[in-house]
Amino acid sequence: MQRRTLLKASLTAAAALSLPLSVRSAFAAEPFTFYGLKSMSGAFASYGKFADMGSRLAVEQHPEILGRPLNYKVIDTEGNAGKAVRKVQEAIQQDGARFFQGCTLSSSALAVAKEVDKAGGVFMTPVGADEVTGKDCNKATFRWSVPTYGAIRETLVPLIKLLPEAKRWYTITPQYVFGEALLEGAKTVLKDKGLEHVGNSFHSLQEQEFSGYLTNAIAARPDVLVLLNFGSQSSNTLRQAVNFGIKERMKVLLVWSAGLDQFQELGSDLLEGVYLGAQYWHQVDTPLNRELVKLTQAKYGINPTYPLAADYISTKVMLDTIVATGSFDGPTVAKAMQGLSYDGPTGKESIRAGDHQVIKDYYLLIGKAASEMADKDDLAKVLSAGQSFPPVDATGCTLA
Amino acid sequence: MLNLYLFQILNGLGLGMIYFLIAVGLTIIFGLLNFVNFAHGAFFLLGAYICYTAVSLTGNFWLALLLAPLVVAALAWVIERVLIQRIYHLPHMFQILVTLGIALIIQEASVMIWGPVGKSVAVPELLRGVLVVGDFIYPYYRLFLIGFSALIGLGLWLLLERTRFGALVRAGSESTETVSLLGTNIFRLFSMTFALGVALAGVAGVLFAPLRGAQPFVGPEILGIAFVVVVIGGMGSFGGALVGGLLVGVVQSLMTTLWPQGASLMIYGAMAAVILVRPYGLFGRA
Repeated sequence: MQRRTLLKASLTAAAALSLPLSVRSAFAAEPFTFYGLKSMSGAFASYGKFADMGSRLAVEQHPEILGRPLNYKVIDTEGNAGKAVRKVQEAIQQDGARFFQGCTLSSSALAVAKEVDKAGGVFMTPVGADEVTGKDCNKATFRWSVPTYGAIRETLVPLIKLLPEAKRWYTITPQYVFGEALLEGAKTVLKDKGLEHVGNSFHSLQEQEFSGYLTNAIAARPDVLVLLNFGSQSSNTLRQAVNFGIKERMKVLLVWSAGLDQFQELGSDLLEGVYLGAQYWHQVDTPLNRELVKLTQAKYGINPTYPLAADYISTKVMLDTIVATGSFDGPTVAKAMQGLSYDGPTGKESIRAGDHQVIKDYYLLIGKAASEMADKDDLAKVLSAGQSFPPVDATGCTLA
Repeated sequence: MLNLYLFQILNGLGLGMIYFLIAVGLTIIFGLLNFVNFAHGAFFLLGAYICYTAVSLTGNFWLALLLAPLVVAALAWVIERVLIQRIYHLPHMFQILVTLGIALIIQEASVMIWGPVGKSVAVPELLRGVLVVGDFIYPYYRLFLIGFSALIGLGLWLLLERTRFGALVRAGSESTETVSLLGTNIFRLFSMTFALGVALAGVAGVLFAPLRGAQPFVGPEILGIAFVVVVIGGMGSFGGALVGGLLVGVVQSLMTTLWPQGASLMIYGAMAAVILVRPYGLFGRA
């Protein structure tokens, strides 16, 4: 080595060592870590598995982000709000984590949202609780799923048009905030349309045996039975309703279905003729959805489910915004996401600045008979799609 | 309104027979072996999943009803010979720990084999439809469950009370040494009893599958119901399991009309009330 070269190298090394830590990190291209909050174990593992698949798809589209390798780290929320928030606190304090996406349970998301906001990060979630973009909204938190208001309006209103002879409606509702919000919405719509709400059965969140509630419903002789529960409770209610011959006596509407994975579990025998509300359906013909279906089939050999699509698009929007702003600063990215419009799986989607709610379609589907199915996932067809959102000043959110 | 309460009582009796079927295996194992089996719910879910697989492959529910309990019983036999037999003499706390471990292994293995999403099993063709009596509607399949559970109950009673096997098991539960000295292989007898109790959990899993599907996380819920029934009826009491099951079923069903949001809670309310009046359950012994 020549003396001049040695001197140059030594000077460069000395200069590098004397640089501030942050600048050195940039030179070393320290990986940027994006955090996926997924219920990988526990009672909601089936949801977490698909949600994780969605986030991974979006992350793979960004091998590098602003010149840094992109690292994706899963935090297993275990379907438990306490554990989720503790793990998020650790990631924030020990690893400097700032960008989070996911959560299966509303209770987890509400707790995580507060922590991420305090840390100056960004959090996007698909959970159902309206408080996320309502009274508990904050500047760091965004929600992809349509709120209960939209789910009720985009299922009940088109169904009332489809079934003009249906005058008597009965509801079965889980008794907690989510269920009660759906019930209030349903009562309002039925009252507006001059229809009779002939009864409601509340049940607890632990309930899995619905024969008693179905007996109540049959006794009320409704034209339509509206199920306002979700997940395994709605699957078991529907299973037992079909067992009680309810499909032959009245129409059945499941307002908040989980989409394809739930339909696969139930099968066409149970779903045939049942009306189903959905946040996402893989057959919707939009440019981004076509791309998502192709990507998912290529990587996993399946069609995208709702948790996969929700977490794919949420992760993608956050990563794309980091690239667009050229910044890893939480408040800068969050500000850029306000009012953002983008191509989503449901078509053109936008984020409302006033409450950080994504404005997107909600679907009314009907379960197909086995003989009508073109493939094993062709379990339902779209009857209508539309957008209904409460005005920002009615949400209780005071971001603006 | 009176009709509705009558319907709920009838529905509750049906539900109670199903609960009896869930709990009877647990009570037999406890009553005869003095062993607390916390893996009972896991064996139930295994029965449901084997039923799902058998029905998917053959389309024959009745074959599944025959096959699943046999497979579950065979597995229980192996587990009993390898593991359980070594802990009969230990305090209940150790038995709970070991069987809880077995339950977790079965649950996670089920997730690995069948996936985390539940599976549906169709009601057999023969039993589809409902019985309509006036305003009362009741599915044929649930009627079949009531009849089948009653038959199983009768068969079990005959087995335990009227056969040599039953006499030996009952004698063994009182004094292991005496029965051994009389030339009976007591450990083989215990293996058979354990396998029988678990097979009943498998039968319940199969019969429940068309109502609830096969779900990987159903075990703890089923175990909870089984324990409530067994505690109400009296730990180890065969008749207690029947009365306890019927009581729980009727309370739950009636409460869905009287106080729907508290229907699940009131099962535990009923248990607490029984314990207050009779600490060892309705038919339990101190």
